[in-house]
Amino acid sequence: MAIYRLDRFFKDKELSGTMVFSILFSAFVFLFLAALIFFLFIEGFPALKREGLQFFTEANWFFRISEYKAASMIYGTFMVSLIAIFIAAPIGFGASVFISEYLSGSPRFFAKSIIELLAGIPSVVYGLLGILFLQPFLYKNFDLNSGDTLLTAGVLLSIMILPTIITLSDDAFRSVSSEERETSLSLGLTKEETFFSTVFPKALPGFIVAILLATGRALGETIAVFLVVGRADNRLPNSLFDLDPVFKAGQTLTSKLGGSEIFIAYGNPEHWSSIVALGLFLFVFVMGCVLIGDLILIYRDKSRI
Amino acid sequence: MRYYFRISKDICFKSFSLISALLTFGILALGLWLIVLKGFSAVSFDFISSSMSQGGLSGGILYQIIGTFILIFTVLLIVSPLSVGIALLRSFYLKNDKSRKIFTTFLYVINGIPSIIFGIFGFFLFVKFFGWGKSWLTGGILLSMMILPTVSLSLSEGISRIPKDYIESAKSLGLSSSAVIFSVVLPQSFSSFISGLLLGLARAAGETAPLLFTATIFSGADIPGGIKESPILSLPYHIFTLAQESYQPQALENAWGSVFVLILIVVFFSALALPFRLKSHEEANV
Repeated sequence: MAIYRLDRFFKDKELSGTMVFSILFSAFVFLFLAALIFFLFIEGFPALKREGLQFFTEANWFFRISEYKAASMIYGTFMVSLIAIFIAAPIGFGASVFISEYLSGSPRFFAKSIIELLAGIPSVVYGLLGILFLQPFLYKNFDLNSGDTLLTAGVLLSIMILPTIITLSDDAFRSVSSEERETSLSLGLTKEETFFSTVFPKALPGFIVAILLATGRALGETIAVFLVVGRADNRLPNSLFDLDPVFKAGQTLTSKLGGSEIFIAYGNPEHWSSIVALGLFLFVFVMGCVLIGDLILIYRDKSRI
Repeated sequence: MRYYFRISKDICFKSFSLISALLTFGILALGLWLIVLKGFSAVSFDFISSSMSQGGLSGGILYQIIGTFILIFTVLLIVSPLSVGIALLRSFYLKNDKSRKIFTTFLYVINGIPSIIFGIFGFFLFVKFFGWGKSWLTGGILLSMMILPTVSLSLSEGISRIPKDYIESAKSLGLSSSAVIFSVVLPQSFSSFISGLLLGLARAAGETAPLLFTATIFSGADIPGGIKESPILSLPYHIFTLAQESYQPQALENAWGSVFVLILIVVFFSALALPFRLKSHEEANV
């Protein structure tokens, strides 16, 4: 059932009030988005211009002496998201395979409803659970100096993005018709061979999009990360393979943006612009994930037709 | 030999997926169980019907609950007309697939923006540039923008599932396009609209990040009297603040109670959406 073709429906070119309102409302929302993007670029650009490349390469953020170099926050954001995806992607893959390939009928519906319900649990609740249970658990078992670390934030995020990965990949696996599965099974292939030879190749774009959207969510998650990340500025590894900062308190772009430093920053143009530049980065990273995902879907649908 | 290899690969695959699923449901069930266990004992009639005192260490969360519902209601009023307009534009008024794709991407972009960025932008535009200070209305506007894609895409998909005959019959009776929209299109896609709306409101009710600098304070507000300088209290922000003081047993106890009430609100909206979702799937199978 395709979307009803209005080229025929509205060929009389009448301009109804409904149409005017619907265009006006959409224009209003578009204006809001445009203003938001404009704001990020206009307000954030002076900091990039002033600090240059050092903004990304040096970990030196002391607003009291007007030093604004953000490398440690960018590092924190990437490490936290990387940990989250590393844990959540395989588990999410396995769980969505179980829901889509081994469950059917009402157990499947039940499992899916639970997962979608859990996707809606507020991040502040995950944050509280993280403080009370995950943080002491990691502190005890990993011999850390404190429970508030980049690792804690990453593990907490992995739990938070699991429902997103599972429900989107399940949709992708389910979009492959059951006839193809049955054909493959009737040729004597095992369930595992059926999955990897018929379902997975077709569902791969959808699975990649699920991972990308979950990454976007992990990059932008604020409240839960804020509560467990430790919020210690200016920590960077000594070399590329030095994982030490991961086991210590750190800072991410979002935990910086969520802190009360915002109120102090507003009065000082340099400081404010540096803060908005952090937001600009976050926006660019997340939009990268969203838009690549969207392109994959558009390309997939085009090649299918 | 080859046969056994294939069978064992299959068994490995099955066990891996089973273990992943058990792990997922186990972790999530544990979380929910903890919330119910710790939360239920912290909630009493007094707790939800009295206002906070001693900086959250004692008293209840009456105004936090009221504040959260003020936000939900504001979002409902703002998002309903906007999402109907957007869904109609996407489903009807855009003339070709290409512009529809671009419009959909535009909605995905809004949907993908991290909530804290809405917060910073709202702080700049409403709190400072418009000079509103902290206001419930800013919170309502920001949350509306955040959930708008969810609601309008759900409605738009509902519209696209309406059988073509319905619209053509209405048109052939001589109804104007507006009349077709109000008498056929919107009533027929109502359950998709409601299910998207409820899921969006559930999400809005639990958001903290966009409200941090724009709408909520921790104490000292009740029912807002105007727009400027009218902050409110809200459940998520209350939990957020108490969580940072969770080394105090009394703060923790109240945080659990607030979590329990917030989860009830969120689950109530999500569960309410379920019958509408089932109904919209039935409509699709007509």
